[in-house]
Amino acid sequence: MNSKESCRSELRIAIRQLSDRCLYTASKWAAEQLMGIEQDPANFTPSNTRFQWGSSSIRRRFRTNEITSTPIAGVSYVSTPVMEEDDAVDGDFYLLAKSYFDCREYRRAAHVLRDQTGKKSVFLRCYALYLAGEKRKEEEVIELEGPLGKSDSVNCELVSLERELSTLRKNGSIDPFGLYLYGLFLKEKGSETVARTVLVESVNSYPWNWNAWSELQSLCTTIDTLNSLNLNNHWMKDFFLASAYQEIRMHSESLAKYEYLQGTFGYSNYIQAQIAKAQYSLREFQQVETIFEELLRNDPYRVEDMDMYSNVLYANECSSALSYLAHRVFMTDKYRPESCCIIGNYYSLKGQHEKSVMYFRRALKLNKNYLSAWTLMGHEYIEMKNTPAAVDAYRRAIDINPCDYRAWYGLGQAYEMMGMPFYALHYFRKSVFLQPNDSRLWISMAHCYETDQLRMLEEAIKCYRRAANCNDREAIALHQLAKLQYELGRPEEAAFYYKKDLERMEAEEREGPNMVEALLYLATYYKTQKRFDEAEVYCTRLLDFTGPEKETAKSLLRGMRTTQSGFPSMDVEHFSP
Amino acid sequence: MAGIVKPPGEFSITPHKVSVCILLQIYAPSAQISFHFPFASVAQHNRLGLFLLALTKSCDDILEPKLDELIGQLREVFGVLNPRFIDHLTTRLSALSSPDDLFNFFSEMRGILGSPESGALEDEQVILDPASNLGMFLRRCILAFNLLAFEGVCHLLTNIGVYCKEALSSCASYETTCFEDSSSNLEAFPEYENMDLENFVFKKVTEEIEARKRASERVSFHLHAPKALFNLVEDIEAPADPKSKHGDKVGEASSYVHPPDYALREFEPNSGIFLRTNWQIQGYLQEQADALEKNGSSFSLNAFELILRQLHKLAPELHRVHFLRYLNSLCHDDYFAALENLLRYFDYSAGTEGIDFVPPASGSNSFGRYEIALLFLGMMHFQFGHPKQALEVLTEAVRVSQQLSNDTCLAYTLAAICNLLSEIGVSSTAGILGSSFSPLTSIGISLSVQQQLFVLLRGSLKRAESLKLKRLVASNHLAMAKFDLTHVQRPLVSFGPKASMKLRTCPTNVCKELRLSSHLISEFSFESSTMTTDGAFSTAWLKNLQKPLGSAILSQENGSGSNENAFQFCVQPSSIPGSVLQLIGSSYLLRATAWELYGSAPLARINALVYATCFTDASSSSDAALAYVKLIQHLAVFRGYKGSVKKPNFSSCKKLNQVCCGEVLGGKKRLQEMVVLCANVTVMDADKGQMRYTPILKSSIVHFKLCLNITDPNVGLEAFAALKLAEEKFLSVSKSRILILKLQLLHERALHRGHLKLAQQVCDELGVLASSVTGVDMELKTEASLRHARTLLAANQYSEAAAVAHSLFCMCYKFNLQVENATVLLLLAEVHKRSGNAVLGLPYALASLSFCQSFNLDLLKASATLTLAELWLSLGSNHAKRALSLIQGALPMILGHGGLELRARAYIAEAKCYLSDPSFSVSENSEVVLDPLSQASVELQVLEYHELAAETFYLMAIVFHKLGQLEEREEAANSFKKHMMALENPLDDEDPLFNVL
Repeated sequence: MNSKESCRSELRIAIRQLSDRCLYTASKWAAEQLMGIEQDPANFTPSNTRFQWGSSSIRRRFRTNEITSTPIAGVSYVSTPVMEEDDAVDGDFYLLAKSYFDCREYRRAAHVLRDQTGKKSVFLRCYALYLAGEKRKEEEVIELEGPLGKSDSVNCELVSLERELSTLRKNGSIDPFGLYLYGLFLKEKGSETVARTVLVESVNSYPWNWNAWSELQSLCTTIDTLNSLNLNNHWMKDFFLASAYQEIRMHSESLAKYEYLQGTFGYSNYIQAQIAKAQYSLREFQQVETIFEELLRNDPYRVEDMDMYSNVLYANECSSALSYLAHRVFMTDKYRPESCCIIGNYYSLKGQHEKSVMYFRRALKLNKNYLSAWTLMGHEYIEMKNTPAAVDAYRRAIDINPCDYRAWYGLGQAYEMMGMPFYALHYFRKSVFLQPNDSRLWISMAHCYETDQLRMLEEAIKCYRRAANCNDREAIALHQLAKLQYELGRPEEAAFYYKKDLERMEAEEREGPNMVEALLYLATYYKTQKRFDEAEVYCTRLLDFTGPEKETAKSLLRGMRTTQSGFPSMDVEHFSP
Repeated sequence: MAGIVKPPGEFSITPHKVSVCILLQIYAPSAQISFHFPFASVAQHNRLGLFLLALTKSCDDILEPKLDELIGQLREVFGVLNPRFIDHLTTRLSALSSPDDLFNFFSEMRGILGSPESGALEDEQVILDPASNLGMFLRRCILAFNLLAFEGVCHLLTNIGVYCKEALSSCASYETTCFEDSSSNLEAFPEYENMDLENFVFKKVTEEIEARKRASERVSFHLHAPKALFNLVEDIEAPADPKSKHGDKVGEASSYVHPPDYALREFEPNSGIFLRTNWQIQGYLQEQADALEKNGSSFSLNAFELILRQLHKLAPELHRVHFLRYLNSLCHDDYFAALENLLRYFDYSAGTEGIDFVPPASGSNSFGRYEIALLFLGMMHFQFGHPKQALEVLTEAVRVSQQLSNDTCLAYTLAAICNLLSEIGVSSTAGILGSSFSPLTSIGISLSVQQQLFVLLRGSLKRAESLKLKRLVASNHLAMAKFDLTHVQRPLVSFGPKASMKLRTCPTNVCKELRLSSHLISEFSFESSTMTTDGAFSTAWLKNLQKPLGSAILSQENGSGSNENAFQFCVQPSSIPGSVLQLIGSSYLLRATAWELYGSAPLARINALVYATCFTDASSSSDAALAYVKLIQHLAVFRGYKGSVKKPNFSSCKKLNQVCCGEVLGGKKRLQEMVVLCANVTVMDADKGQMRYTPILKSSIVHFKLCLNITDPNVGLEAFAALKLAEEKFLSVSKSRILILKLQLLHERALHRGHLKLAQQVCDELGVLASSVTGVDMELKTEASLRHARTLLAANQYSEAAAVAHSLFCMCYKFNLQVENATVLLLLAEVHKRSGNAVLGLPYALASLSFCQSFNLDLLKASATLTLAELWLSLGSNHAKRALSLIQGALPMILGHGGLELRARAYIAEAKCYLSDPSFSVSENSEVVLDPLSQASVELQVLEYHELAAETFYLMAIVFHKLGQLEEREEAANSFKKHMMALENPLDDEDPLFNVL
């Protein structure tokens, strides 16, 4: 397929350009996608591929220029721009700076490039300065534990860098990479609209920089802003949209996009993981598990996204698999927030909540804005009955991302535990608003309405109805509905729901007290309705169960027979002797 | 983890402290150091010492002065000699360029501390005693420096660099830097971007900037005395006599009131180095909260939000900011933001931050105090007019606080519920107020809302008394008074001999409750554990705050000067917390309302006046507006709508104030102080040729004019003019109340002048206001439909008017608005009278009369009696005698307390009675008829009440005709014609207010 071929060559060039500019995350991402494209067995013998990967730098450079000079992209796509190369002397400076940069000596790198005016050099200098500032900022955060907390440290390079780049942009002498940096700075500064336009400009002229896309995505928190972006058509846009949809909880749309992308990038681990994420949000745990097993087989040292896998394992209560995973990530890199989170999950499953909290805390120390760790820690505190701490943890999660329905739900639970159901309702409402298809949330909310203090049964019924409509796995909703309707003195509706519940239980082949209850109710109901045939059916079914209900069923049957036969029974008695 | 407040008062070394150290070195050079500053005199040396003392005492301030400010202060204190100090200071500071310099500097500093054993002194040598204030300061600095890690030293060094650089750059052009500051402000951008979307107009920007300035001006709390005080003191004090230690210090203290303009800088990210302790920030927040409560919507939502957001960014662990944000959005009716911030605050702090958190003694209560969250949430719903939700939340609060045995919270919650029940029309609490706490529902008796309220009030009062929550007791008494005022006390259990129960309200009860409530101010000393119902904070907390701040300096300094009286008096108001003053103030407002209802115009007026004079500073602006509204209404009723404005003179202002303040504060001592103070004011007046207002006198001139007018009949100021003034005063604040007043006045006037279209229009406007989104104001609702009915009546649409009145009566009955019932019944009687069905009108009038009687509504009763008389009169001339006796019975009340319209009606009715009495002959007793008629005509002309005026002149013309006085008859006829013309062709000539609508 031609598009695969063109994607491949575009990516190859892009990887080199990106890593040449020290945008390592983006180049890593691009390389992953490159390998995600199905190799053409006819063109590539194993030796051929190896040669391609191991080619010398001179040769690679040569190749780069060669390929960029010929237009390769499809009609609708932007072609790879020919990147300006600085001349030989500048090139030497650049090489030195880049090596410093690679050794994480940012200021030194920036100093080497201080007088260079080539676009590439300017970019690297700004980038290095920015990173130096960031590093300093993080150090300061640790150093300066003033009386008021610590986040008053700022990246002091930002202002001058932003000013420089804005003049460059005005002059028009700025390349897409520079624009990316400019957008980044603007975002940090807080002027989001401008940042968005700048980033759009950047990705339109150079679409292969995933960093720019992800910055852009973090600026699109609503569907309206997303739709208002004026993006050129490119396959990278699909990646962007898929991930953006996911972020704004349009999971099925995002899933569709990823499945479409899989046509080209059939082997991409990234896409696999993202699909797993979407499935996870849709609560298809079984699928997620298989995807992750597959992923781990291909990429055993992967730590990214593995916390989600651990969540799934936790939900399915596979403690051995979870421990295996925890051990694995621990050996790979124990100081990654994800690793700590996985270990925390493991301990939580084992019921050792103190230890689990410790690991979540560690995860948070590594990354203060690690959303799921806050939420999970809240869950742990709930388990430990330390509600104020749980409330605090959840609230922090919400402040990081106000769309985290789990945290809202957790807050609701915490307040309900404290005996403040009315107060809790607000939080449940929030979580339900964010995740309207989760029956558990609806059930909790209904439960809240049902509490002795509130007794708002009508509202509870509404919630249970919603829960029943969205695939209530534990089958609580129907039963509760039936019970509530009975309590409110609406026997027909109660019968309707009992019947539905019964059907469900039959379909799922479950038996239990609920079944008995439903049968008994239906039997008595139909008896009072004088529909004796139906009543009899339910009574006979009740006979299969042991316990007091059996006797009740028997007496019901007896009673029905007597009323049915009426006088005849008298006759029988009469004639018996 | 939740709500842990870090220990206060961390002493960290800052650039400012370094410069103080340098100055200390100048003051007390060590023996080893070569240079010595030649001081011009011992006095100068001493002055430097005093200056330094003041500096060290204010070193815990929330703001540290920048270098240029410090230099400015030095210049002020030392006059000509200053450059040496300053040069030395700046050179020393800029010489600090490496960490090693700092090390050397501080070890040098150690040298100037005298060691306790070094007894032998050289004569000239000044030795700093390590135990003295300055010595302690120095030692603390050195210690703080020694504790610094190397990183800390580096930070200090860069901060010193910034400190010096700013001083150098800002000397030149403060204006430009200031401008740049705001434009390059990181936070400003998103704000304005967002507003771009909301039709952000330029005008708003300027408004905002101004508001921001205003907001920043309020930051003066680090010295807990109003700025005016210092002005006052400075004026009295002879300048800078170094011997007079006392005066000098006060003068100095005043010069350290930092220019408030700098307050904002505090919250800019790049000046974060000057952030001070937690306590100080909390103090700032406290101050702002008070200001918010007092001034409500005059705060600019966005400007303050901006400050708060920056503060939050700087101090993420300080959750109180969220509370302030809640208050801010509450003031601006932003429901969602308010809810969001309230919940966030309590999620973070668990109710254990700020509001005087006393760590519970027992371990059982360590799980946060979320019941307070419920209480606040309930109050919020109440504020936004969701009575049902509020009730639910408060019920939950009751339950939870019972569970956690938090009696204080329970007491407040009960008070809040009472408030809710009495303020907002809830027709039935069935199913909401659960069985959990009402003692009576357990007996199985269903109570009406009012009965329930009564029971609750009693319970709440008892609880508050047993917990010794004085403020709550006072406010409960107020609520009780309000209840007594408007509700008949029925027996709770309706059986047994009914004869023993008095089915009426009792004014003495009301007065008793009011009096009890205002005892608060005299017995106010200290409340161990408090929180107030509407967002004001506890005093206990405040007092803790004040300790580390500047108040200690002040209390030392008001030693035994000649100006003690004035000083104490000025300090006095601030020692009584605002919330207490507010409560007392509202008791006066309630008194005014009570007297209004009972029908004593002078007493109502005097109470409103007292409020307007003495409590406007402490009260919230909406309460103040209410007082003005009352005064203006009074003006309208007694003085008409329009007139010329004369200039008031200030001497009587002063007298008035004196009297009022004396009366309020009670006790002879205060009165004496008052007199002294006023004397001071007069002296200053003479000296400076201008008036200076001390805190209690400083309320704007507007209300002097207003007050003056009402008390002093020589100055003519009519309602509209007064309204204009009031509008100016409350320009941004509580618009709605003033707006309603304006509509009321306009409506009244339009009805009088016969502009029915206009009246209808105004009436509709009022209806729109009544159906506003922010809560259901039953009072306003009744008012609107009452006015509607009256408009219909004026348009002679009797059946429609009767229908409206009837439905209004039903509503009042449903919501137990008894007092309004009386008015509505009277209106119905009026409708029937006008429609010619006097017989139908009689029962209504009588019913109204009986309502008035049981509620002691004397004035309304008089007017009902008048209507009754008119009804009898219209039944035929044979009832004239009876009507006359009725009128004459009511006349004392009407003439003593009634407004212009009522008086005129009474006069006319009286005249008509005489005229229709067949046994009365005009020629014999003409003045008996003519006197009231002419009186009525004067009053009606003032009111521009054309219809009645025409009637009066008609009657006069008839009388004159009978008397044969033709000239007078012609005159009266002419007047009659004029008024009829005016009635038939309403001119919209000069409606001063309608165009503003």
